[in-house]
Amino acid sequence: MADEMKNTLEIKGLTIQYVTGDEVVHAVTGVNITIPVGKTLGLVGETGAGKTTTALSILNLVPDPPGKIISGEIFLEGEDVLKMNDKRLREIRGNMVAMVFQDPMTSLNPIKTVGEQIAEGIKIHRKVDDKASLEQAKSMLELVGIPGGRAGEYPHQFSGGMKQRVVIAIALACSPDLLIADEPTTALDVTIQAQVLKLINELREQSRMSMLMITHDLGIVAEVCDTVAIMYAGRIVEYGTLEDIFDHLRHPYTKGLFDSLPDIGNRRAELKPIRGLIPDPVNLPPGCAFHPRCDYAKPECSQQLPAIKRISDMHYVQCHLYADTDMSML
Amino acid sequence: MIEYIIRRLIALIPIILVLTLVVFSILHMTPGDATVIILGSEYTEELGAALRKELGLDQPMLVQYAKYVFKLLQGDFGMSYVTRAPVMDQLSVRLVNTFWIVICAMVLCVSLGIPIGILAATRPNSVFSQSMMVVSLMGVSMPIFWLGLLLILLFSVYLGWLPSSGMDQGFLSLILPAVTLGFNYMANIMRTTRSSMLEAIRQDYIRTARAKGVTEHAVIYDHALGNALMPTITIIGLNVGMLLGGVVLTETVFSIPGTGRLLVEAINQRDTPCVLGALVVMAFCVAISNLIVDLIYAYIDPRVRAQYRR
Amino acid sequence: MESSSAPKRNFTTKKEFYRQFRKQSIAYELWLRFMKNPTAVLGLVLFVIIVLGAILAQTLADYDTVVIKINIGNRLHGPSWDHWFGTDELGRDILARILHGARVSLLIGIAAVGVSLFVGGAFGAVAGYYGGRLDSLIMRAMDVFLCLPDVLLAMAIVAAFGKTMVNLVIAIGLSFAPRFARVVRSAVMGVRENEYVEAARSIGARDLWIIRHHILINCMGPIIVQVTLYVASAILCIAALSFLGLGIQAPVPEWGNMLASGRTFMRDYPYIVIAPGLAIFFSILALNLLGDGLRDTLDPRLKQ
Repeated sequence: MADEMKNTLEIKGLTIQYVTGDEVVHAVTGVNITIPVGKTLGLVGETGAGKTTTALSILNLVPDPPGKIISGEIFLEGEDVLKMNDKRLREIRGNMVAMVFQDPMTSLNPIKTVGEQIAEGIKIHRKVDDKASLEQAKSMLELVGIPGGRAGEYPHQFSGGMKQRVVIAIALACSPDLLIADEPTTALDVTIQAQVLKLINELREQSRMSMLMITHDLGIVAEVCDTVAIMYAGRIVEYGTLEDIFDHLRHPYTKGLFDSLPDIGNRRAELKPIRGLIPDPVNLPPGCAFHPRCDYAKPECSQQLPAIKRISDMHYVQCHLYADTDMSML
Repeated sequence: MIEYIIRRLIALIPIILVLTLVVFSILHMTPGDATVIILGSEYTEELGAALRKELGLDQPMLVQYAKYVFKLLQGDFGMSYVTRAPVMDQLSVRLVNTFWIVICAMVLCVSLGIPIGILAATRPNSVFSQSMMVVSLMGVSMPIFWLGLLLILLFSVYLGWLPSSGMDQGFLSLILPAVTLGFNYMANIMRTTRSSMLEAIRQDYIRTARAKGVTEHAVIYDHALGNALMPTITIIGLNVGMLLGGVVLTETVFSIPGTGRLLVEAINQRDTPCVLGALVVMAFCVAISNLIVDLIYAYIDPRVRAQYRR
Repeated sequence: MESSSAPKRNFTTKKEFYRQFRKQSIAYELWLRFMKNPTAVLGLVLFVIIVLGAILAQTLADYDTVVIKINIGNRLHGPSWDHWFGTDELGRDILARILHGARVSLLIGIAAVGVSLFVGGAFGAVAGYYGGRLDSLIMRAMDVFLCLPDVLLAMAIVAAFGKTMVNLVIAIGLSFAPRFARVVRSAVMGVRENEYVEAARSIGARDLWIIRHHILINCMGPIIVQVTLYVASAILCIAALSFLGLGIQAPVPEWGNMLASGRTFMRDYPYIVIAPGLAIFFSILALNLLGDGLRDTLDPRLKQ
């Protein structure tokens, strides 16, 4: 028990499906994630790999219908989110765990001032009156680098980067223990991306907050994460420390991700994209879902789901290549 | 904002003028001689010619139009061919009845249509919501003159609860006409509120609100409703025209002496000044209600408000 | 290369088949999508029944000897085997009059929408295609007409030119034209900027050619939907005008004027206003359901 308390977040065997008509989308299958206090985990994968669904499940906000959490446990500081009643859920949302969403353009309510939107969470969780919460909202705005005087303005009066700062201010307003950042920079200009990332990192370090960083950008991972989970077609195919993933990667998909990055040191090198497309989540290939795109695929890859192989204390991989490899050789 | 209202009111003038010109020229093409209608059995060549001169009907159409507009701007709608009294007098008496029917219908529809639409959106699979959707589908397809007849059959003929015609029983006389006129309108408001509410609930900012720990009630009424109301307000405004078209039928079904009834009578009696007057007043009402809708829009949506300040 | 074989695995053989017969397959898939929508199918069935009734009206009941011939001895009989919906105040079979009324309503409704599609479509297409000043001039003018409820505009036109069938078609057609202009304009603006239009222009196609061969073809979806919905409005408008005594005149059977003449007798013979009203109601319902179904079929993105 004492061990569990050190972890801000612990997800065990999480499986989520979207059921529409007679189709079942296997969004998340058997995901395990652990984030120790004050640490950052990067959840990496292509669009549609199930990253956002995993994140929403931590807030128990997977849209239902069509989303169904089939099995699994999500412990937030030792308490299972999936077993909470509505009242308890509202208490933790925005307070213990908060989320920065991907698209700042649509994440803010167009008919409320940004001050109101930041103050709302403070009012709910800190039980303070309108005036006090608005004052705190102003200081939150200052914290993310926006003059407090702009609290009375509406979202349409802000640029994309500014809006994302507002979204961050909303998320951090009640100093949560866990911050979920869902591709917080994808919708922004490249120059703004760096600023926003720096801001998140600074604020996180100040408050020793844990963070789940969802991204498909390995550069961001290298900058902010302690551990990394590589997600493909709803499963975590490789899991390890930043060093494990960057220097001792095992899974062919992880390798593919790195190969498709441009190399600044060697500008003449040709990019090697992963061939093929991400599979249709309604109709996942049998066995390992990655096998049709995998350069190392063996006959059993298309028949049997590989077991999760422990490589070291922190490093796990789900691939047939390592099924009978002696770990001491690696 | 006041500056904006004044600007919009000024912009109304050319619209009303063009509309008057169109209706004026359409009615001017009416075959036959107006003086024959006015004089009836007393008609003789000389009397007709004298009257034509007196009314200015011998002048070119554009001159007649200019004179008409000049008087219109002073609130003078001309003289009725049939009663020989100012059209304004008839209109002002009749407008009161029409006004009450339309207001009652609007209040009824808005106060029922919006809440039902919200409920239907927030509980999309409930029996209530499904049956309301059937009702609204019927409402959209129901001809209002037939609905009026059916309501008279049920509530006046069989149950004897409500009067079937006239305006002499005060509020009681208003109930059936208002329901008749408003049913279709309510169905529209309901459908629009429901679909825009469903749309709003799916938006990202609703997820943001939920992630803040906002209660479900506040998510719907505080965050979603304001945004969802905008298409509803548009429909409310657009359909004021429809409502005024419907008023003609409602007043006919319930034999209510209102503007719509006046218009039909005037058309049948070929009383051109009266037709023109009734149409201009109705068009003016539609234009004014569009303006009001725009103002409400600006009140709710800060983006629209910002445009108006410019 | 082999890489393309991976996603293909998901195609069923049926879909492969359609791909080979692309044109037929699009129509066929649309048909399948339409048939999956129960309310749309209900609308189609109702509409087909009404159209069949209109077509067979003369076969089932002769116009001169049954529909308009007064038979005082037969007046105001309730529904029976001989007269399913009863007889009216002049002893005529109500069902026969309703069937012939369907002819009048459908004919005028479709003709009127044809007029407004032609007039409004022309203005809308030009406004949407050229944009700029011409666009704002045309649309301002159309907005002026939108201030007047279409029933009232139609009333004014009928009042001026007389209550003939042709005038009714023109009156309703013109009063709906501004709405069509808006629909066509926005549809045209939607496709105008597409690359195939750009491509056609670059090979020297003239504007009228482009409007006809590229733009209108690609706007067909929303226009078909609007046509269906406006035929419903036109039928309602005819019935309303006739009810007011400004549309189709007796003895020609039309649902609205049947209601108007039956009204006097409805206290004692309520069936006389039930049947014609049901006819209007089901026609409008059928066309509304059909229109909504077509919209969902042709543009599935709009469906929730």
